[in-house]
Amino acid sequence: MRRQTEPATRSSYAPAPGHRFNVGDRVRIRQAFPPGHRRTPYYIRGKRGVIERICGAFPNPEELAYGFDGEPAKVLYRVRFLQGHVWPGYRGPAHDVIEMEIYEHWLEPDGDKP
Amino acid sequence: MSDEAINKGPHDIGGEPAGPVDTTDHGMRFWEKQANALRSVLSRSGVVKVDELRRAAEGLGDEYRKLAYFEVTTSALRTLMLEKGYFTEAELSARMAEIRRRFDVPDEMESPVKQKAKR
Amino acid sequence: MSSGPFDYYAKRPHGHDHGDAHGHDHDDHAPVEDREGPPSEFEIMSRAMQELLEAKGVVTAEEIRRRIELFEEDFPYRGGRVIAHAWTDPAFRQRLLADGRAACAEFGIELEAERLIAVENTPSVHNVIVCTLCSCYPRALLGMPPTWYKSRNYRSRVVFEPRAVLREFGTVLPEDVTLRVHDSNADMRYVVIPMRPQGTEGWSEERLAGLLTRDTLVGVTVPKAEGK
Repeated sequence: MRRQTEPATRSSYAPAPGHRFNVGDRVRIRQAFPPGHRRTPYYIRGKRGVIERICGAFPNPEELAYGFDGEPAKVLYRVRFLQGHVWPGYRGPAHDVIEMEIYEHWLEPDGDKP
Repeated sequence: MSDEAINKGPHDIGGEPAGPVDTTDHGMRFWEKQANALRSVLSRSGVVKVDELRRAAEGLGDEYRKLAYFEVTTSALRTLMLEKGYFTEAELSARMAEIRRRFDVPDEMESPVKQKAKR
Repeated sequence: MSSGPFDYYAKRPHGHDHGDAHGHDHDDHAPVEDREGPPSEFEIMSRAMQELLEAKGVVTAEEIRRRIELFEEDFPYRGGRVIAHAWTDPAFRQRLLADGRAACAEFGIELEAERLIAVENTPSVHNVIVCTLCSCYPRALLGMPPTWYKSRNYRSRVVFEPRAVLREFGTVLPEDVTLRVHDSNADMRYVVIPMRPQGTEGWSEERLAGLLTRDTLVGVTVPKAEGK
């Protein structure tokens, strides 16, 4: 049986050489709506958050989806957002958060103070 | 598709208003376990990538909202198998017809008039 | 429509031993409730695809059968064991939090392609998992996701009104507890380490694992010791 093999280094925290952002950096998700397979949910486009963790580098799913190899790998981050910054009418406490994984090419630095 | 949701796929539903969650787990019927296993085996052997399956599901458009979960999985797998040339539409139809005969299931494509005429 | 709640974890009695080498038709495995009516178009389609792929040597019936068995009898029992072990072994808990996949491997569980992030509940933080875009879920650790996890209503609403959704599961969080929602939207998979309930001191890991249902490991409910 043919199996997909992965390099042994691809754990949850595989190295991310050349990563542009660091934990704690303020970022904004690109406000872009290209067609095709994307793993950046519509609801988070244009929102501002903070890098929570660097997950590593992975083949780009936007290209894997169409049968390409997705190389070179793209750096994947976990980004944390205050729920109140994502949903205008959020009814929970101000300290509630939502977190998700965002690929580097969907991130812009956000230097603005709140 | 509304002007305000350019290129929003049918799957991209986080934040959309919806009804109460049916918190009971309804489990899986046997054919769903088979469909899931088929997807899993094909994914693990590299025949399809999970990203391709997702893309094929998203490409179902309006059908995505109408179909049940494993119907989406099965439709997506069909799309990819045809795309990659593992079998043809004709081969699939022929095999489905043969399976229907095994179960003695009326062909859903037949008109009700034809079905009535058989009885 | 379902005939009622289905206990996915219940081991079903079989009429024959899976270890038998005889070839048999797939219908041998069909539980009684699946023969209520003719197969649907999609059941037929799925079966046809499998048969065509078998004929072309792409898959074998045995591989499919084995995979069904793993999902039924192996995967669903792994998560509870891992988390119960994290409850009893603080050093293992830290390793699980640092690198989920490596910790599971150490525990004898190969997560296949899963890259696992464990998130822990504390008195001030509660975690809940969703995949809004599809139904990503650590299947090799927890088995199949419950039907509600894959439903539109859960996927749509838990990201913007998580507290209301949790209430529908009977879980009420105090306002001073931070709710972290994790949208499992790319390559990582998630499991919640719930808080260990009061009244479980001295329990074996096996007994503790019994408290750790899928609902608790996704974060929509919290485990409770049922006063035994």
